[in-house]
Amino acid sequence: MNEASPQRSPNDVARTVADVLHGEKAKLVASLPDNWIAPMIRHFDSDSRFRHVAVNREEAAVGLCSGAFFTGSPGVALMGASGFLTCIYAITKISYTYQIPMLFLITERGAPGDAARYHVSNGLYLRSVIDAINMPAIYIERFEDLHKIGVAYRHASVIGRPYVVALGRNLLKGVA
Amino acid sequence: MSMPIEDCFSVLVSRWSDELVVTSAGNSSEVWWETTHDTEKTFYLEASMSLSTMFAAGVAMGYPDARVWAFLGDGAFVMNTGLLFVERDLALPNMVSIIVANRCYGATDSVDLPNGRSIDFSGMARAAGIPNVFRFTSTKELEAGFDEAFKGVGPTTVVLELDRPTRHYESPPFDGPELKYRFGRALEKRFGNKVLP
Repeated sequence: MNEASPQRSPNDVARTVADVLHGEKAKLVASLPDNWIAPMIRHFDSDSRFRHVAVNREEAAVGLCSGAFFTGSPGVALMGASGFLTCIYAITKISYTYQIPMLFLITERGAPGDAARYHVSNGLYLRSVIDAINMPAIYIERFEDLHKIGVAYRHASVIGRPYVVALGRNLLKGVA
Repeated sequence: MSMPIEDCFSVLVSRWSDELVVTSAGNSSEVWWETTHDTEKTFYLEASMSLSTMFAAGVAMGYPDARVWAFLGDGAFVMNTGLLFVERDLALPNMVSIIVANRCYGATDSVDLPNGRSIDFSGMARAAGIPNVFRFTSTKELEAGFDEAFKGVGPTTVVLELDRPTRHYESPPFDGPELKYRFGRALEKRFGNKVLP
């Protein structure tokens, strides 16, 4: 299958991600855009099962989601890989210090297939940075694996720390 | 004109009832702890660096019947002034953001804020569209304006113009997980929901 004949639309992917998270009783989604997840952000903004908050700095999503944890439902932060990399302080100082779970849904920018040169650094360093802060992570490339988002969301609460799920380009473009 | 933080917080604590409180790094955490020794209605977000009001907003969204006070140091505020736009967008009626304006980094030996003496915090909040903005420069003003500022329908920003710190207070003596469990258990008891796994 190539990009000219997508198996599913990005909206299908967004709806499925939302269904999985709703199944886990997630309520708050905070986001800041990346091109690849713009349809997903719009979906959450219009999905009445969630409260979507558009933040203007990715770290703000960590603050919001951490506070939301105390309402009984860990938050979900939806952002690009670059934005995630700006969150290291917030993750290590808030999430880790207080052992507060949340879920990061991020794009795996810079991976093979991403032609954007300004994301090369993400391809070089994203996974190693995630590893360096000992953050549990799942990398999803296939639509059939989206259910793993629910597993990650649930497990974040078990371990009392954030979990990151990185979504690949072909998946988000609807060709995987 | 400004007021000592100890006197200012004494006024706030004397009027404090069941509001949930989130403090930020430095003076607000230390002096609130010194004044209240509370860990059930207060979360000391000492590792915050501009995120305390966002954290508090996450709490306030989930407990619409509770009122939430969110302290934010002015050093933290100038790191992330964009938070005002998110607060305006959220328009939480039950939250009061409180800028602790002592014009210095109180958590780090009171080093001066860049351009600190000239910053008009309340003007910035108004420019961001926050509908209720209050500025207090003395305990007398604070006592007189407390009800309007702290009991009205938000979103609200309160600027407390404070003296520079004259002494150092200890941080609340708790590890992060202990604070999480103390605050979380108290919320469960008060609101009857399950917070902690």
